[in-house]
Amino acid sequence: MIFSDILASIIHDMKNSLGMVINTLEGLDCDQGRDDQAQSKQVRVLQHEAKRLSNKLIELLTLYKIENEHISPNIEELNLCDFLEEIAAENQTSAEAQGVRVAWQCSPDLNGYFDEGLVRGVINSLIGNGLRYTRRELLVVAEEEDGYLVLRVEDDGDGFPPEMLAAQHAIDQAGNASDGNTQLGIYFAGMVAKLHRNRDREGLIRLSNNCHLPGGCFSLLLP
Amino acid sequence: MRFYRHELEKKSFLIVDDFGDMRSMLRAMLQSIGVAGIQAVASGEEAIHSLEKAHFDIVLCDYNLGPGKDGQQVLEEARYRGLTGLGSLFVMITAENTREMVMGAVEYEPDSYLTKPFTKELLKKRLEKLVARKKNLEAVERAVKQQAFEKAIQLLDQQIAEKPRNLGELTKLQAELCYRAGDYGRAALIYENALAVREMPWARLGLGKVLYAEGQLEQARELFQQLLMENEGLTAAYDWLAKTLQAMELPSEAQELLQKAVILSPKAILRQRSLGELALMNGDGATAEKALSQAVRLGRNSVYKHPAIHASLARAKAENGEETAALKILKQMDREFEGNREAQLYSSMVEGMVQAQLGQDETADACLEQAKGLFDKLGIGVSPELTLEMARTCGRLGDLEGARDMLRIAVSNNHAEEGFLKEVGAVIEDLSLDQDAAHFIGEIRSEIVRINNKGVELVRIGDLEEAVALFEEAVGRMPGNQVVNLNAARVLIMRMQERGINSGQLGRTRQYLERVRAVDPENQSLRRVQSMYQGLLEQAG
Repeated sequence: MIFSDILASIIHDMKNSLGMVINTLEGLDCDQGRDDQAQSKQVRVLQHEAKRLSNKLIELLTLYKIENEHISPNIEELNLCDFLEEIAAENQTSAEAQGVRVAWQCSPDLNGYFDEGLVRGVINSLIGNGLRYTRRELLVVAEEEDGYLVLRVEDDGDGFPPEMLAAQHAIDQAGNASDGNTQLGIYFAGMVAKLHRNRDREGLIRLSNNCHLPGGCFSLLLP
Repeated sequence: MRFYRHELEKKSFLIVDDFGDMRSMLRAMLQSIGVAGIQAVASGEEAIHSLEKAHFDIVLCDYNLGPGKDGQQVLEEARYRGLTGLGSLFVMITAENTREMVMGAVEYEPDSYLTKPFTKELLKKRLEKLVARKKNLEAVERAVKQQAFEKAIQLLDQQIAEKPRNLGELTKLQAELCYRAGDYGRAALIYENALAVREMPWARLGLGKVLYAEGQLEQARELFQQLLMENEGLTAAYDWLAKTLQAMELPSEAQELLQKAVILSPKAILRQRSLGELALMNGDGATAEKALSQAVRLGRNSVYKHPAIHASLARAKAENGEETAALKILKQMDREFEGNREAQLYSSMVEGMVQAQLGQDETADACLEQAKGLFDKLGIGVSPELTLEMARTCGRLGDLEGARDMLRIAVSNNHAEEGFLKEVGAVIEDLSLDQDAAHFIGEIRSEIVRINNKGVELVRIGDLEEAVALFEEAVGRMPGNQVVNLNAARVLIMRMQERGINSGQLGRTRQYLERVRAVDPENQSLRRVQSMYQGLLEQAG
């Protein structure tokens, strides 16, 4: 066993423990009712942070697999409403805890072809990140554009700073993960996007501001 | 798609997880959704036990269950033995690092995979969706279970026309059913349509299976090779390519390929078994022993446990000069399959060979006699492969007359199976029976063809009386031949359509159909004669 394998298996363990923590916290929150507002808020903060941590671990594990095991994505045809409905449900509790509404939008008959597990990981991370920058709303949109399936996570915060918008092509190519937290998320999303190929096209990511909501907008384009 | 909220609450759940914390967490999640009927168990064995005793609407099963059966094996056994009824859902809970391993198992797939960690809300949404879809598929599943594929395909046509959210899933299912029904043209069309939209491994694989089934081996080979280049993890493609190579008489290439595939998914028992048997045929005792040991070990918790695997392992050991170890495997097999006649037959056969190898000729002869006795008792229940194995055993132990008898049975029961007849030919040459293989097979075949043609002619001129007599006489001599059994059933039905139902003839018709169903439930002619039979019963009221 080489070091990275050991690391991966430890991360895997950590992630499962964290899963237990998250769900136990959820139970705590439900049990308490409304009589103890302050403590309930604390529980929700814990829950949110634990979830962020869990998303990071999933990112790390997936990256490990992409680099070491040459995973081939399991492309399936999926209905986007089904997919977004699940994503919204999954993130609802921790978003509510921060007073944020997670909305989604797509046409009922939109189907797409992608690896459900991988893309779910990316969108969850993006929502987790978005929760830090948004004010009151996050919007997840799925639509078709020039033969690409576009998945967008939008917030109503201050938007991406101009340097980041300008540097996004460099991120695409070099996968520069040096600049802390957000960058790992971007790198991860980019790797997952690239794993999706159709004929001569591969997936990519785009950063922009002011789409439907006034803040930042992260797009995942899948061929 | 309609769905009523309270439906989920009324469902009965079985939770299977070896971790107590996880069990209570899942239980708490379900309770908070409003579910009351929940049972939780800690192992695969307990799960099977619970499923034997009670009906569950939904099984939530973790893939990793510690020692003993894993989640996939629970699923296989439950579906194989019909422990989960139509309309029951099986959800496999996995950690991502097991997902690929699980995906290697193609024979039985769960209704859904759920990757840990997940929240209560996600669980609820997923279950609601699955319940609603399952409900829509109930009529289709019932038709499939009754082998009424045409009806199932038609039902799917209606659903697909409404363009539901799960269009992709339904299309895929429809293509598979066309393939199983032998409608290769339509299956290929569905796959090609899907591929025209975009490249998808399942559709490409399906197209390859069609090519294989149509005997276009060279194209099938090319397709599977290409598919593997683009998807190195797609284990099903290895299996099909190996099958194709074997059909092209390239056994060492096939072996090499399966060796690669078992590294990717070491837990697939059927693949280990094929590899072992192939290696044994190729004279590679070391590989055979390794793969077959794995298969025996994996079989302990699996519905795919079979005495033939133990028998092959014992042969591999004997081949490698470990006679004592071989005899030990046979002892173990006798214990594990107590009271199973087929297992006893395998055991006596292989023991005969091992004893002969040890120079114990008398014991070997006694084993062979015992094997022959068991073979007769098993009658038409003996599989073609086992019959051939008997021929080999007789031949190697010097009983050439016995070998000839076995080969005669093997050919006359399977006169239309080209692939199998090739193997028969190889055995005839192998055993130097002083017989021309083509001539030997050809004579038996032409006899059967002659009978069938004569029967068809008798039906044409309307002499059903004579046709019945002809086929029933043939069935008496070749009780294991599917074509003859089906023809006998067909003419009996035609006669009863004309002259009215006769309880003796009805009983024999059922018996002939039953024989074919026992060995080849998906035989397409069987399904046609079966529906004639149903029609007869309905007509008679």
